[in-house]
Amino acid sequence: MLAALPWVLHTPYWRGILVVCAMNVMLALSLNLVLGYTGQLNLGQSAFFGIGAYVSTILVKTYHWNFWLAALAAMGAAGLLGLALAAFAVRLRGHYLAIASLGFAVITYQVLLNWESVTEGVRGIYGILPPRGFGSTVALFYLVAGLAFLVYLVLGNLVRSPVGETLRSIREDEVSAASIGINPARWKAFAFGVGAMIGGLAGCFYPGFVGTLVPDAFNIVESFTMMAMVIVGGMGTMIGPVIGAIVLTFLPELLRGFGELRLMIYGLALTLVVLFMPGGIVQAWNALRARLA
Amino acid sequence: MPDLLALVLQQSINGVYLGCLYVMVALGLTLIYGVLNQINFAHADFVTAGAFTAFFVATRLATKLLGLPDTAGYLLSIVLAFGAGALLGLLINAAVFAPLRERGDELRPLIATIGVSVLLENGQLELFGPIPYQFDSPFTRETIRAGRIFFTQQTLLVIGVTVAAIALLYAFLRLTYTGKALRAVAQDRETAGLMGINPGLLIGLTIVISSALAGMAGALLGPVLVLTPFAGASVIVKAFAIVIIGGFGNLEGTIIAGLLVGIIEAFTVQYLGSGLIDLVVFALLLVMLALRPTGLIAERKEENV
Repeated sequence: MLAALPWVLHTPYWRGILVVCAMNVMLALSLNLVLGYTGQLNLGQSAFFGIGAYVSTILVKTYHWNFWLAALAAMGAAGLLGLALAAFAVRLRGHYLAIASLGFAVITYQVLLNWESVTEGVRGIYGILPPRGFGSTVALFYLVAGLAFLVYLVLGNLVRSPVGETLRSIREDEVSAASIGINPARWKAFAFGVGAMIGGLAGCFYPGFVGTLVPDAFNIVESFTMMAMVIVGGMGTMIGPVIGAIVLTFLPELLRGFGELRLMIYGLALTLVVLFMPGGIVQAWNALRARLA
Repeated sequence: MPDLLALVLQQSINGVYLGCLYVMVALGLTLIYGVLNQINFAHADFVTAGAFTAFFVATRLATKLLGLPDTAGYLLSIVLAFGAGALLGLLINAAVFAPLRERGDELRPLIATIGVSVLLENGQLELFGPIPYQFDSPFTRETIRAGRIFFTQQTLLVIGVTVAAIALLYAFLRLTYTGKALRAVAQDRETAGLMGINPGLLIGLTIVISSALAGMAGALLGPVLVLTPFAGASVIVKAFAIVIIGGFGNLEGTIIAGLLVGIIEAFTVQYLGSGLIDLVVFALLLVMLALRPTGLIAERKEENV
């Protein structure tokens, strides 16, 4: 079904949206590990997306690295930054962590903006090519969607394993988790690190797809968008963020007929989902099925 | 007066002026947090709405329709922006905070307010367009000179309004029965309810006061910011940083942190360049969180850290 999609939505415009959608699925999955399964209020995921994009692009363009090596390095860099944020998550909870991670994303954005000798700042980096062999939008879609699917499988297995149990126990009650011998600091670092690496991986494909790279693409608003995807789909489930990413990627496009109003509708939809479907689409669907059965 | 001293004094005044503007934005956030333990992301858009209300009152309603002098028009616009903020506060309380209050969740109200923020920001974009409005305060026309230090009447007005707002807020919280009840709700909502206080009503009141302060902050910020539908968003993240540096929900801490950030910002502009402001402020935030996660003034609620 996934393979047929570029032929169902066959215009270049919709094929582009498909690539964006696959990237958003990856981002939503990465945030869900931290937010949904480990219960850490992270508003800084856009930072890792940006680090992935910039590190991979600079290594390829300036230092002529092979794309895949650069992607690995970018994932590593994002993962290290994830550990740095985890250092705060060990000491802070709830809203404090939310604002600390927001501050973390702002700092990353400001560094991308101001470190002009490396990032070119607002001028941006131009003429970025997709990875070799994936020049067409369809090929790029298969690549990113395939990786998103791989991430889905890996994370799905992870959350079903004892590691998933451990993360969930930290989400439910950190003190109780510690009392049965779980080291919350270590596992939070693990969740943030893995989440950041996946966010960084998604970032590697963004510049080649768009062709240019400016810091504004990694504004904190991006963090809010990712969070909206996780919440609207259903956080703490595997399929929820995937559905959320698909719905929130296509919804604004389908609302394009409404012009400027579409983002208003987007905001309204987000508020209404939180008010009336607190468990997201997944929970609402399960409730509906239970009622019909 | 030596050059350096004049420079330091000048930047300190600029810093206090900026700091007062930040305090006006951050006070509402910290008040809501103190009473409800909630973050309101739509606060930014209340600031923007206040700024636009003030703009239209000052440049159209007061001067063109009512024929007031422009100074009186600007003063009236500050009052009406306060009212516009209060109205928005009433709406967001009814739409988001009241329905979500009993679920005891810290994530969902936060997301719902992000939704409201997107809605309001784009609503204002639809109404006012993306092109910045030229909003001049009549109080910036004349410069006051004291030795080698310069400032405008607007600086004095902003500092005066901020001091008055803080004084009134404290008088309300400390001296009135309602203020006392509000503090009781902040300490322990359930017990306060048992003492015959209606927590729902007081929480609503808190949100209305906070939002009204945001509206008023918008009127004061209007002439400083680039007035677009995104004006509020440009200061809100800094306001969050101030609230955290001061200790979430702590009024004194917020006031001190707001002034501190204003002064640091003024000196950053002087010595490092304006591009680095956010970097310096948020680095301060993270250092603060690493060293003293309870804020400048230690908070009593231990479960937040």
